[in-house]
Amino acid sequence: MQAVRAVVIVGGGTAGWLTAGIIAARHQARMKAGGLSVTLIESPDIRIIGVGEGTWPTMRASLERMGVSETELFRQCDAAFKQGGKFARWTTGAEDDAYYHPLMVPQGFSQLNLVPHWVREGGARSFCDFVTPQGRLCDEGLAPKTITHGEYRGLANYSYHLDAGKFAPFLARHCTEKLGVRHVLADVVQVNQHQSGDIESVLTRQAGEIFGDLFIDCSGFSALLIGKTLGVGFKECGDVLFCDTALATQVPFDAPDAPMASQTISTAQEAGWVWDICLPTRRGVGYVYSSRHQSEESARETLRRYIGPGHQELPVRKIPIRAGHRATFWKRNCVAVGLASGFLEPLESSAIVLVELSAKLLAEQMPACREVMDIVARRFNEVTMYRFGRIVDFLKLHYVLTKRTDTAFWRDNVDPATVPERLRDLLTLWKYQSPWFFDEFDRLEEVFPAASYQYVLYGMGFQTRVVPEDTADGQMLASRLVRQNERLTDEMCTRLPKNRELLTKIHEHGLQSI
Amino acid sequence: MTQIVPLNKDAHRSLKVDGRASAAYGDNRHFVQVIVNEFAQLVVRYPILFSKHPGTGRLYCGAMLGFDEGENLFLEEWRQRESYRPLALQRMPFYAHGPEIGIDLDHPRVGAESGQPLFDRAGRPSRYLQGIIWAFQDLGPGIETTNAFIARLLELKLIEPIDIEVELDDGTRHQCAGLYTINQDILAKLPDAVVVELFRRGYLMLIHFMIASLKQLPLLAHRKNSRLLEATSHVAGLRT
Repeated sequence: MQAVRAVVIVGGGTAGWLTAGIIAARHQARMKAGGLSVTLIESPDIRIIGVGEGTWPTMRASLERMGVSETELFRQCDAAFKQGGKFARWTTGAEDDAYYHPLMVPQGFSQLNLVPHWVREGGARSFCDFVTPQGRLCDEGLAPKTITHGEYRGLANYSYHLDAGKFAPFLARHCTEKLGVRHVLADVVQVNQHQSGDIESVLTRQAGEIFGDLFIDCSGFSALLIGKTLGVGFKECGDVLFCDTALATQVPFDAPDAPMASQTISTAQEAGWVWDICLPTRRGVGYVYSSRHQSEESARETLRRYIGPGHQELPVRKIPIRAGHRATFWKRNCVAVGLASGFLEPLESSAIVLVELSAKLLAEQMPACREVMDIVARRFNEVTMYRFGRIVDFLKLHYVLTKRTDTAFWRDNVDPATVPERLRDLLTLWKYQSPWFFDEFDRLEEVFPAASYQYVLYGMGFQTRVVPEDTADGQMLASRLVRQNERLTDEMCTRLPKNRELLTKIHEHGLQSI
Repeated sequence: MTQIVPLNKDAHRSLKVDGRASAAYGDNRHFVQVIVNEFAQLVVRYPILFSKHPGTGRLYCGAMLGFDEGENLFLEEWRQRESYRPLALQRMPFYAHGPEIGIDLDHPRVGAESGQPLFDRAGRPSRYLQGIIWAFQDLGPGIETTNAFIARLLELKLIEPIDIEVELDDGTRHQCAGLYTINQDILAKLPDAVVVELFRRGYLMLIHFMIASLKQLPLLAHRKNSRLLEATSHVAGLRT
């Protein structure tokens, strides 16, 4: 038996450190007993891409399990609350066209599907307001918790917006000081393989040869191990998701106490969309667009127009987006996590959550020895392929439901030839029934559960035919849930402080550990 | 409004202050902050729990006096001086003002006809004021000791939320949220060295006071039930 004792992670961005932390936290006992080591090799000069500034609520559980203090996360990573996404001008392109994809599931989601009841009511209220308080909380600029809620607890579900450039070093400190991860600052100059094809070691310029039993490729777009060494191909998704370029910048607040939105605002433009994310210190703003549909010069103008006057001289970084993923993610004794495994436009902040899910799967299924590794690898590949597929579908859903015809970008997006077959089928099905349980999204850890599809579908005016008789049985329960939601909305709006106000308090007083 | 000025034996020579327990003067509180120095006196009457300061989220120790906002089930006993009244209320309307004692001149207790003098003719503190001075000698260091006690308990994960739900005789249910107590499971599993440390610092006794004080919860509910009974008796005309 060839035991797995040394895990070597190549690359030290968000993906590398999150993976290191999640694995190390899960295997502390073995690490302390000397049965497992986790080493992370990070190049001293490669700049991290730091694409992900938005996370999913899974991050709370991941960080709590790693033993990270939430107070320190807020203080050291310029973190802020995120309560969902607001999508502006995606449906008609009109000034007041907007909907929410909040992080709270609809009231009583596990008991009853409220969609048919909302349809029957005639849609006087938005679907979001009908089923959850969170849209209102975002509209009113409220935080998801109060200063008396302990770390990682809250009234409303939430995740974080954070400065990825600070998040990786923050995790690095925690992983090395608290979780026993070995940090090697060195450049990998050569990858050595066994005759079998397995990776045996990596040779570094500054720290010599580093051996491992399992290698995790977190080297970003360069895909040093999975791509360059093991030759795993890349599956492009550009025919479905057209955006291939991002122009990113940072916008200062007019005043240090300016109100902060706790939702990621995504505003559709002529050939893509602009993200707008509030951190306590600045806004992160960027334009993701299709270079086939708009020139760079024109795209820069779109971004400038969005930001408005007064900020003309902001430096803009251009980031290429190659939409797609590896043909396989775990080959031999090497697993790709993060950008090395693939990248899709950040419309639903799927990058970091995918890292967490992959790392968690890896940590839970850590193969005991080389002999069983291929079995675990097959499962990992199947699940990760499924997840990428579902993310592509879910992102495409935002485009395919548009009624905009003002530019070729939007017209091309609804061309059935660009819609994955599975999504086409679902859209046909959903004309007659709405996504809920018993739909396809029944995996234990779906990236986007049925609730997310509901918010986007009915936020964008999708029509599901409802047979009145079908809602009769659940009518009583539905009325109760709707009333509950109204009560909860009022209560939360009264109790919750403003987003900025709470963040200031957290910096001043900290959050309690309980 | 508050107007806190340092206490001065010349300026305040003839000032009278009513220090007695009264709902009108602000004793109508169902939960009041306490310090560890008071635990021994509190434990025979009140549940001692932790709560969080609404403005900062910080934990503090408090004595529970009632179930509803503004409900103090001990007011009558305080008036008769039959039960211990926590320092945080005893000391009103006086505040710490740097190293000195300050007085809130806008407090309704101040200048009341029914009040007691603060100084005698020679300018020496009256018995009432002397009591206040002693209270502050306890309060200042007591708050720091209490904070250190709480910080150590948090480190050891010895504090956990407690759900208090009481059903009263009139059928109403009262839920008290936002309260915390000692986690006895974790306490039982503490390593010997930590137990000795807690004992030497005097914390172990405080921990046991807090655990024992939970037995005051049913007594507090009983107190509330007796009130309800009195109220209904009045309505029914059984008492004159």
